[in-house]
Amino acid sequence: MNEELPAEKLLARVAQHDVAALSELYDRYAPRVYGLMAHILPSRTAAEEILQQVFLRLWSESPSLSQEGGSVVAWLVVTAREAAVERVRVLRKNPPDARPQGAAAKTEKGPDTRARKSKAAVLVSSAAKSLNGKSEAMKTLPADGARAPAMGPVPMAWLPQPKEILLIDDRLALLHKAINQLPKPQRQALELAVFGGLRETEIAAEMGEPLGKVRTSLRAAVTFIKHRRRAVCGTWAANI
Amino acid sequence: MGCQHLEELYELWLLGAISEQGSLDLREHLGRGCPHCLARIREATETIYLLSLAPKPTRPHPRVKSEVLRQISRKAAPDR
Repeated sequence: MNEELPAEKLLARVAQHDVAALSELYDRYAPRVYGLMAHILPSRTAAEEILQQVFLRLWSESPSLSQEGGSVVAWLVVTAREAAVERVRVLRKNPPDARPQGAAAKTEKGPDTRARKSKAAVLVSSAAKSLNGKSEAMKTLPADGARAPAMGPVPMAWLPQPKEILLIDDRLALLHKAINQLPKPQRQALELAVFGGLRETEIAAEMGEPLGKVRTSLRAAVTFIKHRRRAVCGTWAANI
Repeated sequence: MGCQHLEELYELWLLGAISEQGSLDLREHLGRGCPHCLARIREATETIYLLSLAPKPTRPHPRVKSEVLRQISRKAAPDR
């Protein structure tokens, strides 16, 4: 009776306008999405707004999403990240330099979002600092918003299957431990891309490093993580 | 542009981190429906998912859920 329904079955119900199914998906995944939003965005208000938008999108796009068979939580997380970094890019382009007055400023500033550090670990350390200081970065970095974003919403066909995501979820702590082994400059560059939505050129400016070096760091970081993920979720894990 | 050259770009492309030119090359290649690249894109999305889970899950204020449910109930109502 109380056995948890797979998210993809719940999504099929959402596609049939089942509000309770959406409520269940929200309870299951909103903390994960909100944790990410609160880490990326400069205010609790913005984090809540994007969280809300993503679940509303899930509702309205559920008929097509449920046909594809991709992982629902992967869609939620990847879509939310994309929306949040897009918001950050816009803020960078149009910084709200007219300081909000008094109460408005207090409302906008969430109590715990700026100081947040990921306990998972892992990626955070230095980037948490640079990202928590993002208002400064927003002022100093070149505005890049004039160009179209490199990515729009991720098509469901590009999403991994639920079983792949279950493997990652099961081994998350181990995977984050592995990621934490990245050399600091690589980790920092990657975090600026993941949580700051910065392009290579902007990361180079933020870190005060040559573009070529940053480019190499990012590629090395991604390759390292990819190999670790394959090892942890693939044959190595299966042989434990 | 060949698949091998693109191999190390998928994750960074999904993150929106690579240059406009690199992005265009990738889009053009994917537009041809390359099955190898589709598999790699799925794998790259797994990596983005993994990286995005570094921040600690945090329970949002209950009013956010109420607002979501209020809005979808309003949307669902005319269809019934």
